[in-house]
Amino acid sequence: MMNAFLRKIVLPVAVGAVALGFGIEVAIRDREPSDAIALFAVSLPDTQGTPQRLDQWRGKVLVVNFWATWCDPCREEMPQFVQAQREFGPKGLQFVGIAVDQRDKVIQFAKELGLNYPALIGGYDALELSKPLGNRLAALPFTIILDRDGHIAHTQLGPLKSGQLRSIVSNLL
Amino acid sequence: MRAAERRGRRAVTGLVVVAALVAGLPALAQVNPLPPDKAFRFSARVVDAQTVEARFIIAEGYYLYRDKIHFVIEPATAGLTVPRLPEGKIKEDQFFGRVETYRGDVVVQLSVKDPKPGQQIVIAAESQGCADIGICYPPTVQKVTLALPVGSVVPDARGDSPKKSWFN
Repeated sequence: MMNAFLRKIVLPVAVGAVALGFGIEVAIRDREPSDAIALFAVSLPDTQGTPQRLDQWRGKVLVVNFWATWCDPCREEMPQFVQAQREFGPKGLQFVGIAVDQRDKVIQFAKELGLNYPALIGGYDALELSKPLGNRLAALPFTIILDRDGHIAHTQLGPLKSGQLRSIVSNLL
Repeated sequence: MRAAERRGRRAVTGLVVVAALVAGLPALAQVNPLPPDKAFRFSARVVDAQTVEARFIIAEGYYLYRDKIHFVIEPATAGLTVPRLPEGKIKEDQFFGRVETYRGDVVVQLSVKDPKPGQQIVIAAESQGCADIGICYPPTVQKVTLALPVGSVVPDARGDSPKKSWFN
C-alpha cells in the first residue's frame, strides 16, 4: 500500500519537482554568461589611477561589491568583507569593490578600514554596470558573487549577512 | 519488494533534494524597495508672485540627508533664494561626522528673485537618501513645472508629479 503510494504519487511528484528545480537552476545559469562576460570586460581605475580589468580575477570566486562612502550600510558591511578576504583569500576568494564615489574619499575610507582588496573607482556611471545584473534601482550596496567558472552564483541588493556570505562563499570555494 | 524499497528510497532522496532546493529559495529573495522618486516624493506649488513652496514627502522607512538637498530654478535668469533648511535629526557618522537627516515631510519656502508675471518656471530638486532596510540611492533630481501668477491671481500648481529622475 505504502509502496504503491510512493510509486504512483510521491515519486512522480518528487521527480517533477527536482526537474523543475533543475530547470530553474538551468534557467538562472543560462542567463548568466553574457551578463558575467560584460562584467569581466569592465575596466576601472584603482586608487592609484591604474586601470584594472575585472577578468584578471577569472578563475577565482569573485565578490564584486558596488559601494560608496556616502552609503552608510555599505560602510557597515565592509569590515566583514575585509575579514572574509583575509580568511578565504588564500583559498581563492577575491573581493573587488567598485566605488560610486570620488577618489579622495575612497582613499581616506580604505585607509581607515584597512581595506585589503582592490577598490576601483567608477563614479555614478559605474552604477549603470550593475543595472543589467539586477540592480534595477541603481541603489547601494549591490553585490555579485561569481563562481570559479564566471557564473553568477548570487546577487544581493542591500547588505549581506555575515552568515549568508560565509555559507555562499564556502559552497563555491 | 526490494525494487519497491529502492524506489521508495529514491523517492525519499528526491524529496530531500526538493526540500534542499526549497530551503535555498529564500536566499534568492530580494528586498523590494521603492524607486527614489516614490521614496522621496517631491512637489512644489506657487504661494504668491515670488514664492514657491517646495515639499518632500518621505515614505516611512526612508530618510533624506539635509546637506544633499539642492534646488535650482529654470530659467536661471529668474534666480532663486533658498532659505536655511529646517533642522534635521542629528546623527553621528563615523566617517562624515555630524550629519542631519529628515523623515516625514520637509517643506521649504523658496523665493524667486526676478519673477515675471505668468512666467513658466521649473523647480529642480536634487536629493539623496537611504532606506532603513539598508540601501542608499545616488542623488536624484526631480522637476516640477509651475506658472507664476499673472497679477495677484495665484494659479493652481501643476506638474506635481515628479518628472524624469536621474535614473531614467
